[in-house]
Amino acid sequence: MSQTINMNINGQQIGPVEVSDHTMMIEFLHEKLNLTGTKFGCGAGVCHACVVLVDNEDGTTSVERSCISGAGYFDGKKVRTVEGHAKTNEQGEVSELSPVQQAFLEHYSFQCGWCTSGFVNTATALVEKLAKNPINKDQVEKTVEDALQDNICRCTGYVKYYQAVKELILKTPGLTV
Amino acid sequence: MVDQVGNSEELPRRKFIKQCVVAGVTLYTAPLVLSLNEAVAQASNSSQVLGYKAPKFRLDGIAKVTGQKVYGRDFRAQDMAGWPKEQAYGFVIRATKVDHTFSHVDLTDIPENAQPFKVILAEDLVKQKLELPPFFGNDMLVAKNAAPQYYGHAVAILLFENFDQFKEAKLKLQFNDNVVRYGKSTKPFTSNPYAAWRIVREEGKQGASGKDKYSPLQDGLFFPSYQRRMPVWKGDPNQAGSVSERGLYYGNEVQQKMQKNADDWLIIDEQYTSQSVDPMMMEPEAFNGFWEEATKTLHVVATSQSPHDYQEQVAEILAHSKMGHSIKNIVVHSAYVGGAFGAKDHSIFPYYGTIAALFSEGRPLYLANDRFEQFQAGLKRHPFIMDNKLAFDKKTGQLQGLHSKMNLDGGGRSNFSSAIAMVGASAIQGIYYLPRNDIQATAHQSNNVDCGSMRGFGTLQTMSSMEMMLNEAAQKLDMDPIELREKNIMKTGFRNTQGAIPNGELRYGEILEKAKQHTMWTQRAARKQEFEKNNPHMLFGTGFGIATKDYGTGAAAPSSAVRISPEGKIELDIVFMEMGTGTQTSQAVSVGKFLGSTAHQVNLAKMDSWAALKQFQTDNPYITSQARQDEMAQNPQWTPVVAMASSASMSSYFQTHTSHGAARVLYRYGLWPAAQHIWSGSTEKVANKRISFKDIELAKWKDEMLTMPGKPSLPLAQLAAKAHELGLVTGVMTHAFNRWSWADAQFSILGNKETLELDGLALQYGNGADKRRKNLMKSHGYHLINRQKMNYPATAMNNAMVTYYAPCATLVDVAVNKGNGKVAVVKTHSWLDCGTPLVSKLVEGQIEGGVAMGIGHALFEELPLGEEGPGTGQWNLNRYDLAKGKDVGVWQHTHTLLEPLNENTPSKGIGEVVMIPVVPAIAEAVYQATNVRFRSLPITAKKVKEALQS
Repeated sequence: MSQTINMNINGQQIGPVEVSDHTMMIEFLHEKLNLTGTKFGCGAGVCHACVVLVDNEDGTTSVERSCISGAGYFDGKKVRTVEGHAKTNEQGEVSELSPVQQAFLEHYSFQCGWCTSGFVNTATALVEKLAKNPINKDQVEKTVEDALQDNICRCTGYVKYYQAVKELILKTPGLTV
Repeated sequence: MVDQVGNSEELPRRKFIKQCVVAGVTLYTAPLVLSLNEAVAQASNSSQVLGYKAPKFRLDGIAKVTGQKVYGRDFRAQDMAGWPKEQAYGFVIRATKVDHTFSHVDLTDIPENAQPFKVILAEDLVKQKLELPPFFGNDMLVAKNAAPQYYGHAVAILLFENFDQFKEAKLKLQFNDNVVRYGKSTKPFTSNPYAAWRIVREEGKQGASGKDKYSPLQDGLFFPSYQRRMPVWKGDPNQAGSVSERGLYYGNEVQQKMQKNADDWLIIDEQYTSQSVDPMMMEPEAFNGFWEEATKTLHVVATSQSPHDYQEQVAEILAHSKMGHSIKNIVVHSAYVGGAFGAKDHSIFPYYGTIAALFSEGRPLYLANDRFEQFQAGLKRHPFIMDNKLAFDKKTGQLQGLHSKMNLDGGGRSNFSSAIAMVGASAIQGIYYLPRNDIQATAHQSNNVDCGSMRGFGTLQTMSSMEMMLNEAAQKLDMDPIELREKNIMKTGFRNTQGAIPNGELRYGEILEKAKQHTMWTQRAARKQEFEKNNPHMLFGTGFGIATKDYGTGAAAPSSAVRISPEGKIELDIVFMEMGTGTQTSQAVSVGKFLGSTAHQVNLAKMDSWAALKQFQTDNPYITSQARQDEMAQNPQWTPVVAMASSASMSSYFQTHTSHGAARVLYRYGLWPAAQHIWSGSTEKVANKRISFKDIELAKWKDEMLTMPGKPSLPLAQLAAKAHELGLVTGVMTHAFNRWSWADAQFSILGNKETLELDGLALQYGNGADKRRKNLMKSHGYHLINRQKMNYPATAMNNAMVTYYAPCATLVDVAVNKGNGKVAVVKTHSWLDCGTPLVSKLVEGQIEGGVAMGIGHALFEELPLGEEGPGTGQWNLNRYDLAKGKDVGVWQHTHTLLEPLNENTPSKGIGEVVMIPVVPAIAEAVYQATNVRFRSLPITAKKVKEALQS
């Protein structure tokens, strides 16, 4: 069985396009759209390397695992992948990173980088959530831990990812009270 | 047969870089990530380190954090210039039984519209005479009516025209017991062990540093025969006999002395076991290949730590196949590796991809493991069973001897099992001096998934057992565990279990002293009391471990090339691949010591330009004789090893050696004479005068300027321009060989004779060089310098096994839940001697990542063996636990890097040692919390709960 879907990915309208019911979102991104920044880790929804962001109509953002979610689930949705965070110039070159990307870069947060797109998306969702619902400074560590707890990294031991997000939250006006 | 070198059918595309010719096939490389070097310019806006700029972030950082295509798995046919755009897909069918013969594959469950266009079976490989490289053994695919040799042994490769067909079929094939059809029942395949080693040593009258009574380095190694799949060390023990007879004599002595001194010695006599572990690198293995009929070229994108080894092996197997006549070129497109930990070092996976591509009828073929497949067929860490006896003098606490029998399961293919048994055995001594030892290690064949060179290379398993014994002995001797260690450390100049003297200054005592004074240690009793008072459902414990990991292979052969443009832009070529450890960044930094600036472009996994050195190898460097080496070394192009694989702990010391070597020559014979020329006010257009190095020590780099007391500071760009104008050295290519010391030779450079720790050197001269000099650059654009007085390390050093070490210690606090037995790491502090760190943030990242992986090994990770194991294709992260952020004490994770002893202290390989000490430290901390000793890893919540309940 197949279905026809439309969606917005990183501000670009995609579709209508026909996909099999069995096509997972990550496969749709990789094999149909040639967007390979979203990484395949386990294919079982455990490692969160593959997460993408869905901006919901109510103004909230969901973190979705693209390896276990069919492409059809994203029909009509507004999706952000790791390729959509940084600003680019007319030549398509990166001109400005997002604050989360910049923080990971400056903290040497990642090594092999395979898990990085997942961390970027999860941390971005957290930062955006805090912009709407700031927290107390003494809650930051626990909040970071809870938000990133499902993202698996095999190289770094998590320390520099967590420190980068913590520091970003503390230094960004409006995220804490 | 394929044509020989220089045939007229070379690949016309100039963008590919010719590497060399193997078995008549021309090999090319084509970096996929070259353009990323632009990131260097952005990354160099940063603080001063040692007088030159260090990158503010990783050179690969922007590409990775923005999701650009930089990994092998990312690339599809449409991304590859010159390939057809339509991508075909492959799927490997694997046997899940070893007690029946293979009959056939049943594809009737696949819908008609999704059937493969090609099914590759063993008989197809036989027809084409396609065989695995000898390193991997035989039977790439199981033949009909033959028994699979191990769980997950491949039986067929299916090729599909497009993704939709592939996906449709895969849904029907994977986890389907009806696909592989079996014949009659049979006994599982068995063979003799892959290898057995025995390391016997007895110190002589002069003690730890004197001549040994017997040791492998002094006397040589001896080997067993096999009976019933076990080693038999035959012969009559004889103190005055042959190598083996004397070895047996002194080996027996170890046990006899333990028995004789039973009253005075404490013997820790226990079995320690370490589990099967998956490397779980985040990027599963993938391959994309295109067989281009028109140019007789195989194009490949692979995820490999050793791309040039793969390329050469493929050239060999194709040349010897019936397809050999139609293969002229192999192009390997190199990319970043998304984690490896040994999983992509000499993996068999790319060869399946290669075969699939060759049968793909001109379609680009993508073969990519999902995680179930990666667990099913990817290399594993060897499980060890170690029966150890470690003797201490009860009065003094002094170590008296070690007897160890270790058996490791290598799985269905030998891969690096022999080397891992040897390295694991030679590492068990850890940081301690042993006056006598008899260590036996046997690597066994089994029907399990094959094991390879996973992080630690056998030492994690063996050294952890040693540390666990030390901790237990301290308790039994009623001594402080760190003080017991201090009594027994191997001091500089002492001999190791092989009889070799480790290189460099051993700083074990310094680390132990620091650990002993740390509040985690000094206040451990009070903190335990307080924690358990505040958390009545928890138990608390603190543990310590220390390890010293060898690095190096005993046949390391790095190459580097450094070139500087007239504008002062530095370009560096290295052989290493970027696996995530930061090699690209750290190598860029390494040349700054001599050139005053980080390299502006670093080209990874380079194989092409080394052809300028015209080097060749002839023998296995580990078993070649001294006479053969002496004979071959007369040829100035001969080297024991041409190229080496990228693996953990190897780049910082070995790759840096040739990068430093090249940068140093460029400085001394390019930039330095240019500076002298400018400072002297000379107006000569050429610089043929002999170069004076009289004041060179006074010159220092600062802010990319060369400074000299009383002289104007000179910018790098000005020096580069002058070096080019005068025709001085502006490009240097180096090759070196290390067998626990560096080979050295004399080279003549611009009329100066200099002995360098290199065995290959080639130079480029600046744009302004006269005709004579330019004519010298005939070897791929370089002037090949013929070496003189070549001095290779003696072949006897092969018996030393290892002599380079980097130590690391870790203190850990754990909290144990009394109810469910779960162990939580609360806090860690590590000490590391990394020599001179090239980029401290990268070293910190290695420590943090190593500790996390060590925690996983100690507490969570475990694969069962046999039919419940991963070879049946049922394993994934839903069943395989590893350390997550909440498991590593992420906010209380600290470390100390020992200050380098001096400015010439080299960088050490530390990628492996950092994960080891936390493992025994956790075992000890759990003991301190629960009063139960766990000698079998991992220490799961289930085990702890059962122990607490009993």
